[in-house]
Amino acid sequence: MGALRSLRGSNNEGVLALVLVGLIVAMSIANPSFFTLNTGFSILRSSIVPVVFALGVLIVVITGGIDVSFAAIAIFAGYATVSFCLNAGFDPGLPGIFAIAIAVGAALGLVNGIVIAQFNLPTLIVTLGTQGVFFGAMYTWVGASYYAELPGSMAALATSNLLDVTTSAGRAYLHVLVVPVLLLCVLVAWVLKRTMFGRSLYAMGGDLEAARRAGFLVKRTQVSVYVLVGALAAIAGVIHIVLSRSANPRDLVGGELDIIAAVVLGGASIFGGRGSVIGTVLGVLLIQVIKNSLLLVGVPSAWLRTAVGVLLVLGVGIQAIAARRNSRRMRVIEDLDTAQKQEQKVGS
Amino acid sequence: MSRNTKVRNEPPTTNAQSLRQFNDQLGGWTSQFVRRTGAHQGAGRMVVALLLAVTLFTVLNPRVFLSPINLQNIAVAAPEIGIISIAMMVVMLTGGIDLSLVAIANFSAITISTLHTAIAASDPDLANNLGILIVLAGMAVGMLGGAFNGFLVSVVGITPILATLATMQIYNGIAIVWTGGSTLYGAPTMLGAIGQAAVANAPLLFIIFLAVAILVAVLMNRTALGRMIQLEGANPVAAQYSAIPRRSVLLKTYTLGGLLAGLAGVLFLARNPTASADYGSSYVLLVIVIAVLGGTKPTGGFASVSGVVLATLTLQVVSSGFTAIRLSSYEYAIAQGVILITVMILDSVSSSRTKRPKKKNPPHDAAASSEAVLLRP
Repeated sequence: MGALRSLRGSNNEGVLALVLVGLIVAMSIANPSFFTLNTGFSILRSSIVPVVFALGVLIVVITGGIDVSFAAIAIFAGYATVSFCLNAGFDPGLPGIFAIAIAVGAALGLVNGIVIAQFNLPTLIVTLGTQGVFFGAMYTWVGASYYAELPGSMAALATSNLLDVTTSAGRAYLHVLVVPVLLLCVLVAWVLKRTMFGRSLYAMGGDLEAARRAGFLVKRTQVSVYVLVGALAAIAGVIHIVLSRSANPRDLVGGELDIIAAVVLGGASIFGGRGSVIGTVLGVLLIQVIKNSLLLVGVPSAWLRTAVGVLLVLGVGIQAIAARRNSRRMRVIEDLDTAQKQEQKVGS
Repeated sequence: MSRNTKVRNEPPTTNAQSLRQFNDQLGGWTSQFVRRTGAHQGAGRMVVALLLAVTLFTVLNPRVFLSPINLQNIAVAAPEIGIISIAMMVVMLTGGIDLSLVAIANFSAITISTLHTAIAASDPDLANNLGILIVLAGMAVGMLGGAFNGFLVSVVGITPILATLATMQIYNGIAIVWTGGSTLYGAPTMLGAIGQAAVANAPLLFIIFLAVAILVAVLMNRTALGRMIQLEGANPVAAQYSAIPRRSVLLKTYTLGGLLAGLAGVLFLARNPTASADYGSSYVLLVIVIAVLGGTKPTGGFASVSGVVLATLTLQVVSSGFTAIRLSSYEYAIAQGVILITVMILDSVSSSRTKRPKKKNPPHDAAASSEAVLLRP
């Protein structure tokens, strides 16, 4: 029983992994062409950007907030960097490009952080506002044109593969960017699990007031969270531009909900205080596999949105019902608990 | 208030004390003045903002801004956004949020357009005669969409943000599949007539908007359901112990939100007889901005319909004013975000200001505590 429970994981990661494996097996039986190295590599490739985004969203969600401006920050930072390099006519190399983008992203995140922490405002509404501001500012002051040519170092990265395997189904490529993203996951997991900063995020998500009284520097941590999310979003933005081999200011914005859905499916609690990197990665993979398999089974791509929505309802609904069943034994406390959650959610 | 003046009319003992009393009195007068004008609430603040915006754009470009066509456009475009904003306000009153309202409005518009086109294909006259029924069917679809939200929030117990995030994807996804991503044409002629009609130069759409606003205001302020919705948002714990049927109240709130969104879908069609799945996708942000600007507290419990109506008009004025002075829609997006955040910061600063002195130096509490001392055995 104990072994079973530990397999299940603290945030149901085991269940999620099981669903993922089950889905892959079912898809492979339904359509043998699904179970190939090509499909696997292409799913991994399409998960790179969402995973980086999801890490940022996970951090915010653990603190009990919600951020919908990260996609706007990502495209702002990535696009501004590319347009700066192209217009100035120099190529600072990959480290330089990432450094510029991260600086821009962190600065935008700082705006979110200061507004939210200083004035204690609901995060969803603030980031909805800054999303509009960032996106509008990019169009107005950075530019609105589409760049088909990237700086040399980015263009070179776009075509470099880690693995290049020839299988019966054709050649399969594993993109080199999978490695740094994996390292990023390990780093974030380490920060969350093993550092004081990570602890304080969980503490704040559990109960902001309690964390304040326990001596955590709540405001400062909140600001650093949003700076961190801005930096992560900027990395995702640059990676997206590299993978798509063009800088289009219209990209990314509008896909925020898929990322939030993946993070919540991955077991992070929207009330804060719960969530893990493994669960988040599994959540992203699950959504990508479902998208891929729907296409393979012949479901029109128009259904993707609906599928993600249904998945979100099922995932969150099961969580909500399970949470209620767990606390049914304590009648009064349960009632108070849901009421408090109500308040918390509203405050987030 | 009478009690305050009594306390303050006592003869001053020392100079410092009289100065303090004078200061208190001045503070009392100003706060009373502010309360009377309603400037601390959404409605009063928005009257000021609306006048400011109108004056600003009139000064900047009177020829374009004050042209009858521009004013007409404001009055015709405001109702659809305004009614969705009122729906958002109702949901926010319970402390929730509904991100799926625009998707519901589109869904309802698509339903009406499809039904009309299908019937008109065989018998155009019949389709126009059934106009009212078709419109009602569209609104029923909106209501069902809202009821499903309410079911997820109240019975299943999903957080409103997530539940409506998911249903927004579902409704929008179904609409995309249904329309194949293209724009539908065709609506009952009755709707077009409503869209064109005007009573004494005021577009009928605008009158419908005001009527809906008044209805919702009455519903919120004068009925038991409205009272329960407010209490649920103001303090869910207290509401729970006051035997307020939480589930049914939430269910009704989201259903009402869906119904209003459905009505907004009807207005989409009345203004322009086309429907598509992604119409007004930028409204999701705008509607929250309007609701918050209009004095709705995002944490629930407090809202004012007149504030929301005025905020709708103000943002329409700013939008058309930006066009009049040739600023782009992206600059308008910046303005929206900046206005939203500024107002929320001002709210938070002013609410912490009004709270603080009361705690530190409360004339009432001083009296109360001295009474308490006397009452202590």
